[in-house]
Amino acid sequence: MLKTKIDMDKKEEILKLANKYRWELGENLHDSILESIYSDASNITNKVVSKIGEKPKFDWDRLIDKLVTGKLTGFPIMFLLLALVFWLTISGANYPSQFLSWILIDNVHHYLKMFSQFLSFPNWLSGLLIDGAYLATAWVVSVMLPPMAIFFPLFTLLEDFGYLPRVAFNLDFLYKKVGAHGKQALTMSMGFGCNAAGVVATRIIDSPRERLIAIITNNFSLCNGRWPTQILIATIFIGGAVPNYLAGIASSAAVVFIALLGVSFSFIVSLFLSKTLLKGEVSSFSLELPPYRPPRILQTIYTSLIDRTLIVLWRAVVFAAPAGIIIWLVANISINNISLAEYFINWVNPFGLLIGLNGVIILAYVIAIPANEIVIPTILMLTVLTNNITGFGSGAGVMFELDSVQQTEYLLRNSGWSLLTGINLMLFSLLHNPCSTTIFSIYKETKSVKWTLISTFLPIVLGILICFLVASVWNMI
Amino acid sequence: MYKLKLSIRFISAIEKKYKSMIYLLITIIVLLIGIIIYSEFTKKQKINNQKILIEDSLKHIYDCEHRNTDCTNFSLSGSLSLSKEKTSKIIDLLIEKKLINVIGNKFRLTSEGKNYALQVIRIHRLWEKYLAEKTSVGENEWHTIAEIEEHNTSIEKANKLAAQLGNPFLDPHGDPIPNENGEIIYNETLTLNQVKINSIVKVEHIEDEPKETYKKLFNNGIYIGTILKVKNVLNEKIIIEVNGKELSLSISEADNINVSIVSEVNYENVIPLSSLKIDESAVISFLSNGIRGQQRRRLLDLGIVPNTIITARMKSLNDDPTAYEVRGTLIALRKNQSDLIFVKKNES
Repeated sequence: MLKTKIDMDKKEEILKLANKYRWELGENLHDSILESIYSDASNITNKVVSKIGEKPKFDWDRLIDKLVTGKLTGFPIMFLLLALVFWLTISGANYPSQFLSWILIDNVHHYLKMFSQFLSFPNWLSGLLIDGAYLATAWVVSVMLPPMAIFFPLFTLLEDFGYLPRVAFNLDFLYKKVGAHGKQALTMSMGFGCNAAGVVATRIIDSPRERLIAIITNNFSLCNGRWPTQILIATIFIGGAVPNYLAGIASSAAVVFIALLGVSFSFIVSLFLSKTLLKGEVSSFSLELPPYRPPRILQTIYTSLIDRTLIVLWRAVVFAAPAGIIIWLVANISINNISLAEYFINWVNPFGLLIGLNGVIILAYVIAIPANEIVIPTILMLTVLTNNITGFGSGAGVMFELDSVQQTEYLLRNSGWSLLTGINLMLFSLLHNPCSTTIFSIYKETKSVKWTLISTFLPIVLGILICFLVASVWNMI
Repeated sequence: MYKLKLSIRFISAIEKKYKSMIYLLITIIVLLIGIIIYSEFTKKQKINNQKILIEDSLKHIYDCEHRNTDCTNFSLSGSLSLSKEKTSKIIDLLIEKKLINVIGNKFRLTSEGKNYALQVIRIHRLWEKYLAEKTSVGENEWHTIAEIEEHNTSIEKANKLAAQLGNPFLDPHGDPIPNENGEIIYNETLTLNQVKINSIVKVEHIEDEPKETYKKLFNNGIYIGTILKVKNVLNEKIIIEVNGKELSLSISEADNINVSIVSEVNYENVIPLSSLKIDESAVISFLSNGIRGQQRRRLLDLGIVPNTIITARMKSLNDDPTAYEVRGTLIALRKNQSDLIFVKKNES
């Protein structure tokens, strides 16, 4: 019905008028519109909303705020709460982890093998599917699931209560110095649980530049999958290098040192990024401190399990199964009776030794990219494969872990590992590319190949440099 | 025999040391080369390109015509920092391309030359606007970056940039941006020197050269749109009140500022939000134009808009940031932001 044809004269007229108004209104149109929206809104609320007395609830908020951001009480409360979360995660995850591992790796794996024999599967098929794909997936699930299922709900509860924004408020001055956002403290702590979840959690930072910094540096938080590696290697090599009565203290101090080193790297790299690559990106700081409210426990547990734990776990599984197949293949395909793995290890070994590691470790980090959890099992399998040591493991391409630390130590020391290898493995475990789950999450969050590549290769270049420097200094002394 | 063994061990030890020293040296060299390559890449391109010279000359001549001053070979060689011979070559080239006419020793742009000059100016000012609105590049770098980008931005790209910015009229210095057809509208304004004592004025334009003056002005919170009050004129100095502080400017500095008269009283006797003590309340007067782009929008969206009551509630451990209560919510702001938000304390 209303077909309006604007003839050219009218169009010109309208455009002229529009231009005239734009000149008159000036550049701050957005400001004036918002100002009038707010004043209209407050006029309406004044008319229709009646307040009954004073809100007593607010005083509670002020009291809690005084405690958690107080000069004397702020930091102790923060450390205690974070320590409690970590302690609950580590000690609480132990039993379900062992239980899952007992079921999935010891039993189901065994029965699957028997079943495949019963169906007279060819060797390569059962190896590929059961020793490769199934075992890698089972390993990732059993090591990853329990700590995440405990850590994420706890963290989300603190967030829901309103405490975490106060932590960001307390620590903002540190992050301001390196050009980052106070909320990076939260995504960093989240990274201690899982880097992929940490990367997803950077959504809470609304300023684009600060968010990119938080994403790229999240990998410097020693994640769940890397703690066991650190503890095992520190116990064997650092604990073994000092007198017996100091072993426990020295090895745990070494692990804490590595974690703190990661934190300082995240600060240094943040500073570097904000001064160079990210200099021109938009920055808009703001930090809302929502009112405290009783956490909705059941809902929180449900959503954090669905939104965080299961999504991350699913992404890990998607990558773990094909990686398991590749791990099995490189150990089992041989040319002239030498497996692909051995070819690669021999070829890369000189470089590995140059940076104080060895070929086995480098291959393990390449093929165990889906999850840091399977690095140690892969290293053990490859060590047995290349050194022809008998009596350990259950065949080429089948990842395993040993029941006792002594056995692991015996195996590694007999394959030419030294204290330097141990130290550098700890360093490299901190400073290497993020796992494929995290890389995928970074791509999903940034939608940019450039930033994904930078977050992948920046830590690995740093790791190689640091390991090389340590090895050089070590060889000189 | 024993001695020989020892010395062999010693030599191999040295060799071992030596080897790692070489490796160390190699890394250091590689690092150094990397740093050199990086700094070469980021270095401002040297102005030796013919296109750049032509465009810069046209801009200079346009500028002279706009100011009604005369452009000479001398002034051009000064502005391009080129020798006289090279400048003459450029002028010959401009005449050959029919971009300018020479009358006596003065230059005049042809209509093609003027269009070309306006196109370059358009791209320059669009870039400055883009840097101000869409990035966090500091104001002292806008001009330098735009000087480089104006020469390698195509017209199509400039139109896209303009559309992305909502076809702006003014660049962040308050200069008008020519439109697609090369039309430009100048607004008649006064310089700060031409204003009577006690008048309240709004800054419309700030000349971005000389750099020192420009830097002094924005370091004191004087941007486009800032409201000033001229308080006194004393011994070649102009005393102004800006953002609740007094500031004295020399005549030449004041000449760099163009203003228009306004009559808003909201801008008098204000103090920065950062000077509020804990549990003190005030009413927001305005946000300085130093807060711009996404940052400004974010603060406005959070409810930090003029005529709102704001109360300082708590300071972080290091006194920065501070949490403010606005409309019943707590919002933490860093000091560099609260320095740019101006409030009036309740007189009661």
